[in-house]
Amino acid sequence: MVILREGICPGINEEFIKALQSEDIKTGVDNDHQIATFEDFVSCNPEELAQKCSLSYKALVAVRRVLLAQYTAFPVSGADLYEELLSATAILSTGNPSLDKLLDSGLYTGEITELTGSPGSGKTQVCFSVAVNISHQLKQTVFYIDTKSGMCANRLLQMLQTKTPNMEEQMEALQKIKVFRVFDVFSLLACLQHLRSNDLQKASIGGGSVKALMVDSVSAVLSSMLGGKQNEGMSLLMQVAGELKMIAKDFNIAVLVTNHVTRDGNGHLKAGLGQSWSHVPRTRVLLQRVEDAETSSLRTATLTKSSRQACHLVEEFDLCHWSEEKRTSISGKRKLEERSKP
Amino acid sequence: MQRTVPSLPLAPSVKVKLINAGFQVASDLIDMRPLQLCKEAGISQEEAVEVLQMLRDDGQPHQQRAATESLTALDLLHQEQALGSIVTFCSALDDALGGGVPVGKTTEICGAPGVGKTQLCMQLAVDVQIPVCFGGLGGKALYIDTEGSFLVQRVVDMAEAVVQHCTLLAEDTEQRQALEELTVEKILSSLFLVRCHDYVELLAEVYLLPDFLSEHPEVRLVVIDSIAFPFRHDFEDLSQRTRLLNGLAQQLIQLATQHSLAVVLTNQMTTRVSNGQSKLVPALGESWGHAATQRLILHWEGLRRLASLYKSPSQMEATIQYQITLQGFRDAPDEPRPTPASSAVSCPSGNHSKRPRMEDLS
Amino acid sequence: MEFRNYCAKINDMTARVRMAENGAQLVSRLEGRQSLRDIEPSIFPVDGGPGQGDVVEFHGSEGTGKTETLYHLITRCIMPVQSRGLEVAVVFVDTDYHFDMLRLVSVLEGRLAEDCKGGDGSENEPEERVRSCLGRLSVVHCNSSVQLLLTLHYLENTFSSQPSLGLLIIDSISSFYWVDRFNGGESTVCQEANLRKCAELLDRLRRNYGIVIFATTHAIMRNYGSDPGVSEVPGPSSSRRWRSADSVTDFDKPYLCRAWQRIVTHRMLFTKSHVSKDNKQVFSTACTSIMTKGVKRCSFHVMEDGIKFVCDK
Repeated sequence: MVILREGICPGINEEFIKALQSEDIKTGVDNDHQIATFEDFVSCNPEELAQKCSLSYKALVAVRRVLLAQYTAFPVSGADLYEELLSATAILSTGNPSLDKLLDSGLYTGEITELTGSPGSGKTQVCFSVAVNISHQLKQTVFYIDTKSGMCANRLLQMLQTKTPNMEEQMEALQKIKVFRVFDVFSLLACLQHLRSNDLQKASIGGGSVKALMVDSVSAVLSSMLGGKQNEGMSLLMQVAGELKMIAKDFNIAVLVTNHVTRDGNGHLKAGLGQSWSHVPRTRVLLQRVEDAETSSLRTATLTKSSRQACHLVEEFDLCHWSEEKRTSISGKRKLEERSKP
Repeated sequence: MQRTVPSLPLAPSVKVKLINAGFQVASDLIDMRPLQLCKEAGISQEEAVEVLQMLRDDGQPHQQRAATESLTALDLLHQEQALGSIVTFCSALDDALGGGVPVGKTTEICGAPGVGKTQLCMQLAVDVQIPVCFGGLGGKALYIDTEGSFLVQRVVDMAEAVVQHCTLLAEDTEQRQALEELTVEKILSSLFLVRCHDYVELLAEVYLLPDFLSEHPEVRLVVIDSIAFPFRHDFEDLSQRTRLLNGLAQQLIQLATQHSLAVVLTNQMTTRVSNGQSKLVPALGESWGHAATQRLILHWEGLRRLASLYKSPSQMEATIQYQITLQGFRDAPDEPRPTPASSAVSCPSGNHSKRPRMEDLS
Repeated sequence: MEFRNYCAKINDMTARVRMAENGAQLVSRLEGRQSLRDIEPSIFPVDGGPGQGDVVEFHGSEGTGKTETLYHLITRCIMPVQSRGLEVAVVFVDTDYHFDMLRLVSVLEGRLAEDCKGGDGSENEPEERVRSCLGRLSVVHCNSSVQLLLTLHYLENTFSSQPSLGLLIIDSISSFYWVDRFNGGESTVCQEANLRKCAELLDRLRRNYGIVIFATTHAIMRNYGSDPGVSEVPGPSSSRRWRSADSVTDFDKPYLCRAWQRIVTHRMLFTKSHVSKDNKQVFSTACTSIMTKGVKRCSFHVMEDGIKFVCDK
């Protein structure tokens, strides 16, 4: 809602507003409503308005044009957009061959990718490993929003130690991971809005070295707000979604979020947070434990939503894969993949 | 700060009025005077004052730090090492947990009745008080008892054992001095006990915790034994229960982080039938499983008591054996262990296996 | 149906008489916009394709092929006539921040390559041809219902000055539903104010300029009641005009404001159906239109280079 106030644009002064509001100008359905907002104003025919308010048609059209220019989004030609995408889109490897295969070689910048799974299915571990890979291998800054205190720097260090024995490199990589700890949805929104208007803005001017943002987890802060008869929860959910999408798009950043799972009527697992959220991530991966496996660290990842790959692709991986304790149970095939990795 | 009005932590009705009066971002509001705001937005004067108060608080460095100032993972690493953890006196479990129950995180202990959940909680409430010079935290504990299962006599037994243990270890003067302070009485007086009878009392208690913790900054452990009991009964609306529990979990995590606490919750087990097989799973539903940072499941296998680390952001999953003796929660006797049972306390740096490495790094 | 149709016509005519029009508008109407009636006979009813000024609502849950279908239709519009396209310019309003240019390009490339195989391949490099097609598409992102409304107003100039522009796509028109519902407070009129204004404006745009409008709406209702986490309530102003297709459940219940319901001429329901023998997910659509009787059903697979229709048994 943009209220018409004195001075929001040249040409709007007290008289102008008075003139608009003095006459009983009907705005759509509610007849007693005066023109108070720009939305009302812009929806009126300037010609009729000029007659009724005895304002000059020219002035009305000029004000309308200036205000529109101020508040609208501008169309971009598809060809230009494509050009820009080709040059700017990066694919960030997760450092895990199985996951990369599912994601069609990694996380895409400009998109939201979601990890879902039951408790203990390895969502946080995957986030850690992705963060470590991006900060160490790709030398890019990672913003990590931790909403359930799952961040464990010691574990990050462990993972880094498997990648390099050089301590300076380890420390450098750790410094590239910036952790925000927020525990409720309002702080999360504050954090995202702050990032959008400050940190990322600065970073993008300074060469745009931030390539990834992670939120582990979105469901932790949102699920206590949803349900019941209140609209506020849904509104907040959509606001979080909006902020994440804008960050992904406007700063060309890969966003990785985690979400819990619920069971549908048939007992199948599906991503939590409901229908409206389900549209938000571009790609979704479901993590599950492998029941009855010899090692409890074996997991499967299933692609449940993607615009690039056939859905329901399944890959198996081992959470130990990233730790220093290379278990003997790692199969020969996996070792091969490891070696063939550049 | 570019905060939009709909995203502010204000009462929904107030927000709606502000939005409809054309306020879009926090900066539209911040310079207003209360009277002016209450006239323009059509809200009461108290509400206007509240809105402005919230915005000013929000702009203050302390609050802001929480939401908008980041720590690097390196800072966090130093923090984690400084915070330490609470030993359990069962070295196998300590190893599995990476040195004990971590401070700054929430840990959920699940198990059937009688398997030893409350014993472990009481043990932790005593152990958190082990003086720093003995490798402990020298903190205090808050114990919220919802089941009425807290037994003072057991705590006395455990406290006596801890005092005796430390007496045996005391070598230098600092430790001897600390010993004089460390008595069963002292331990009991540093353990705050709260009894909550239903979930309303529990929620109220947690809501008031920040004040209590500010007054008692030495508290390093908060135990809720159990979280399940008040929430497993008297609930017709399960979705409301889920919401309350999720909210509670987030509050506890926030407390754990902001006040450097270990939060320990106990949970009961329930039977779930899937594919025609019934199996024991932690109570309170699947979404509660996301609540705690770590989940430890205590269970029986024949006559042996086992503890399984089911979920942890930092440790491998593991299953270890323990026993409950007169002295408290201890290692199982027959299991061959490379390190003696007392290692956790006798060599303070030994339980933090990552510490020496860190010294190299810095 | 007939009566409504008749009324619409009368309205149309009176509207035209009443409207003072400028030269560009006149020209664009006289010349006539490119017709989209044959845009895709497989999914629209026989003789019921979207004609000038029609509004098609694409409704479905997540992952039911709405976006893929849009890409298919966009491709058909922006391809040149010699490649069996319509050569119509398209404006894509992306309110979900969901538009995947790379995906569109791979669909487009597939379609263009297909065309080359058939002979008469044009001289141009494939890359060049993709670019010239994309030149007919413009994309705009909106992040609030206010911005959507103002942007549509802004676009009015484009519509009046560019007769080649024939299709406006809004993906999705229901994006701001929850935020607006909360921001509007208790009053339904306030909750729906912005969307109503958008719908009124769209109505004017389609009448004055004869553009076709495609808009997606997300299903917000659960089609089963077993999720304790989220219970979503329908909007108060759902109309029962579309007593259509498969409405066994609540999921296809229209929930957006009446002003929007009133201008919709075609409604297309998307559902995920069975998995075929060769392990491919089959999606189906059911299209109803106020112009024709009956339901046009169709099924398709999603392949690497876009959707492939499955022949009727």
